[in-house]
Amino acid sequence: MPAGHGVRSRTRDLFARPFRKKGYIPLTTYLRTYKIGDYVDVKVNGAVHKGMPHKFYHGRTGKVWNITKRAIGVEINKQVGNRIIRKRIHVRVEHVQPSRCSEEFCLRIKKNDQLKAEAKAHGEVISTKRQPEGPKPGFMVEGATLETVTPIPYDVVNDLKGGY
Amino acid sequence: MVFVKAQKTKAYFKRFQVKFKRRRAGKTDYRARIRLINQDKNKYNTPKYRFVVRFTNKNIIAQIVSASIAGDMVMAAAYAHELPRYGLEVGLTNYAAAYCTGLLLARRVLKMLEMDEEYQGNVEATGEDFSVEPAESRRPFRALLDVGLLRTTTGNRVFGALKGALDGGLDIPHSEKRFAGFKKDDKQLDAEAHRKYIFGDHVACYMRVSLMDDEPEKYQSHFSAYLKKGLEADDIEEMYKKVHAAIRADPMPVKSTKEPPKEHKRYNLKKLTYEERKAKLVERLNALNAAEPDDEEDDE
Repeated sequence: MPAGHGVRSRTRDLFARPFRKKGYIPLTTYLRTYKIGDYVDVKVNGAVHKGMPHKFYHGRTGKVWNITKRAIGVEINKQVGNRIIRKRIHVRVEHVQPSRCSEEFCLRIKKNDQLKAEAKAHGEVISTKRQPEGPKPGFMVEGATLETVTPIPYDVVNDLKGGY
Repeated sequence: MVFVKAQKTKAYFKRFQVKFKRRRAGKTDYRARIRLINQDKNKYNTPKYRFVVRFTNKNIIAQIVSASIAGDMVMAAAYAHELPRYGLEVGLTNYAAAYCTGLLLARRVLKMLEMDEEYQGNVEATGEDFSVEPAESRRPFRALLDVGLLRTTTGNRVFGALKGALDGGLDIPHSEKRFAGFKKDDKQLDAEAHRKYIFGDHVACYMRVSLMDDEPEKYQSHFSAYLKKGLEADDIEEMYKKVHAAIRADPMPVKSTKEPPKEHKRYNLKKLTYEERKAKLVERLNALNAAEPDDEEDDE
């Protein structure tokens, strides 16, 4: 019999629930709210059969573009041939998690705004740009003693002791 | 000891998946809970309220609850043990008391939201199916009945509480199929029969039967609390009418003053925090260093 290429082919392990996490899914997934423009991760929950995305989208992150009663529309990039298409899929909320990819960015924005406001109050000019880590500063080596190591002449008797 | 092959091996325990904590405790039906809590995503943060009714052996608990990730938030609650304040001292877990508790909760919530003028509900309890009509300015307060783990048979007290809340003015989707007095043969709710249950007439009938006809001693033993308050079979309906009126007059809860609980002596050692443990370690090392003044001791 030839191999099938159905929608859920080769997903035996991918869609399987993790060890000792089968059965009812915890209720926070249902209580989360999403807004258009949020980033979300698509992670299929094999326990819920409705509204499953195709296995390609498992592990992808995209932006929310639509919200319906029980599902969320997510825009995900997919490479098709020589171009990347922005694909729009609808996924039920059980297969979606809020993404933390932009969390660090949002925090940095807030912090920078605060720093800039403070600097403005003082009247000084600051740069909030991130700098890459530079080379380590120079330092003096402390407590170094000099030990001169010279080779000793080859001594046959001593060296052959082990495996003679 | 007889050698018995171990039924539950180590392998069994390693693979055992525990159910959710509240399921292990047998308190929450998650299948029902998921369906009650799930809010349409295009309604965003709009709360979905549940009208929760639970019965204990001596009390009835009615709450309006909305779910959140941090935990369920109770908007308002009414207990059967508050009913003595309105004049109902005995029979705090019967159908009529459930009606009173539901009514109390409904009036309380509406008063909290300042909707109690608009939505009077059904002032005269007739036992017929009553649904709130939407008024002009605000839509009625909507909640969904949450029975918990009860078996929903016809005439269950939880539907007494439901009827109380409906007559109080809440909008709870329901069907009259499970009210006490619904005849399965005609598929009709007998409003008169339901009204009898709301006013405790079923209790009164039983009182009359065991008092007059069958067993006066049983009457003494069963209804001793009623007798102590001087309640006869005929006073019961009047009493409930007064209780309903009292509830509608002043549904707000009374804050009870309690002294702070007594401090108890601590019998076991208090667990130290991370900072405290690290501080203790530094102290011990410093003491060691001071004790033997050797060179090269790092304080790692």
